[in-house]
Amino acid sequence: MDASTCARGAADLAGRVLGALRDGSAADLADFLDSCVDATAGLAAVRLVGADVFLPHLVLDRPLGTRDADVVVASFEILPSVTAPATAEQRVMAWHDWSTARLLAGLTGAVPVATPEDPAAVLGPVEQWARWSVAVAQLSSSAHPGATGPVVDAVAAQPLALCRGVVRSVLRRDFATASRLTRWICLLHATGVGLPLDPVLLLAHVESRAGAEPRRLLDLAAARHLVRST
Amino acid sequence: MNTVVHTAHNVTARALGWLHANRDLGAFDDDATADLNDPDGVYKPLCELALASSLVLREGVAGTAELRAARELLEFSWRQLRRGDLLYERQLRHVLLTDPLETYAHHARGGLRHEALEQLLAQDSATDSMTEVVPNRRLAVANAHRVVGLPRDDDPQDMLRQTWLGRTPQPWALDWYTAYHMTHAVFHVTDWGALPGELPPDVAEYLRNWLPAWFEVWAEAGQWDLIGELLIVGACLPEPWCEPARWELFAGLQHADGLVPRDTEPVDDEPLRRFHDHQHTAVVAAIAGTLTTSRLLGGST
Repeated sequence: MDASTCARGAADLAGRVLGALRDGSAADLADFLDSCVDATAGLAAVRLVGADVFLPHLVLDRPLGTRDADVVVASFEILPSVTAPATAEQRVMAWHDWSTARLLAGLTGAVPVATPEDPAAVLGPVEQWARWSVAVAQLSSSAHPGATGPVVDAVAAQPLALCRGVVRSVLRRDFATASRLTRWICLLHATGVGLPLDPVLLLAHVESRAGAEPRRLLDLAAARHLVRST
Repeated sequence: MNTVVHTAHNVTARALGWLHANRDLGAFDDDATADLNDPDGVYKPLCELALASSLVLREGVAGTAELRAARELLEFSWRQLRRGDLLYERQLRHVLLTDPLETYAHHARGGLRHEALEQLLAQDSATDSMTEVVPNRRLAVANAHRVVGLPRDDDPQDMLRQTWLGRTPQPWALDWYTAYHMTHAVFHVTDWGALPGELPPDVAEYLRNWLPAWFEVWAEAGQWDLIGELLIVGACLPEPWCEPARWELFAGLQHADGLVPRDTEPVDDEPLRRFHDHQHTAVVAAIAGTLTTSRLLGGST
């Protein structure tokens, strides 16, 4: 199982989730896993897509099937979450996993998971907004409809830093980061946070230039739903 | 803030020293006429040299040596322009051109006056003899009239609203070229930081929000001339924006002799080429340092 196999699997799964959002159907995680030659790589893909595998359930209010829930549970069993993150990458993964596990618990009625460390440790000082916003972008799957939690609160408290980050990424033509940050901006907009830019115009600008990468499109689909819900 | 004052002051001193030491490289080869074949070759840089010098003198926050250098540079450009006669002849010949007025304004700011030219400019102003220009350039002309003291019914606030900046577009709707239009709208509406209150509150807030993002983008691209202009814009705001880290970055680009490279391209060793390639950025650096020092010491409040 190499990194490119995982990334390819994650792109496939993101495409499935995207299709489910568009068609109003289910992502069918169990079917995805069955289609994978390497089951472990499939479970790694589930973990990479993270909380976004639940987007059809959050957006379309569809119940989560037992088989699909079991796939996510299995991914945590086979690839345990880092309990004591030491590097920046591990801190991002710890919060990414927390968001996934928390949504799983919410949708299945399981026991909520423990919160990782202070979000400042993963985001860094907001004064360094360029670096801060890149960390925020890496946690875009936490910016889903109805999202709450320490990272969401930390980001919502800094709308200007977030907006500077997205302006920088758009002007650099880094539309992967721009898509992720746009999603956060649309979440803040949906929750009534005042913004110094127009999130709807931003979303349209980024959508027109984001390309065809499924995970990027999934970020933008989530953003579009957040904007529609306001 | 003391750190920024120190840094900005040193940047100005060194940039001005470099402009002074190399000033003969920016002189006309022979007697220039009103029909300048290449106005951007020597004439425009002389205008920019006069601008920087006049602002150093206006603010009066530089050291004794720098104030002397600024005075000598202003007199140098004035001599090159045949003490205003060249501007007079050019305005006489080309009625609709605005550059004689704009160049004269920098010298007038420094107390160098030309009576016949002023009469001509007053006539042209009364008849609205000026070529049609883009909105930020129109502000430049209005400010030149204001500095020279020619009364008009111009409304700088209204003119500002005609510019890119005045519409406060979405902040990603900007490119390198338009960024220069934006900086110049600020320079002219505030008369280079003398009138920061001329920036409407919404425009001032817009600039405070987005200057850091734009600075980051063009610093990464190595557009040193443009980030110098962004520092000038920061110094023109009602509440100046002059972060120590940005100033340290800009100061760190300056060569030992005071040259500030315009971008990341290698600096040519040939003296004339070296001067012409980087003269504008030295002017920008001298102005940025002067206005920042002055604003932090309490000027234009």
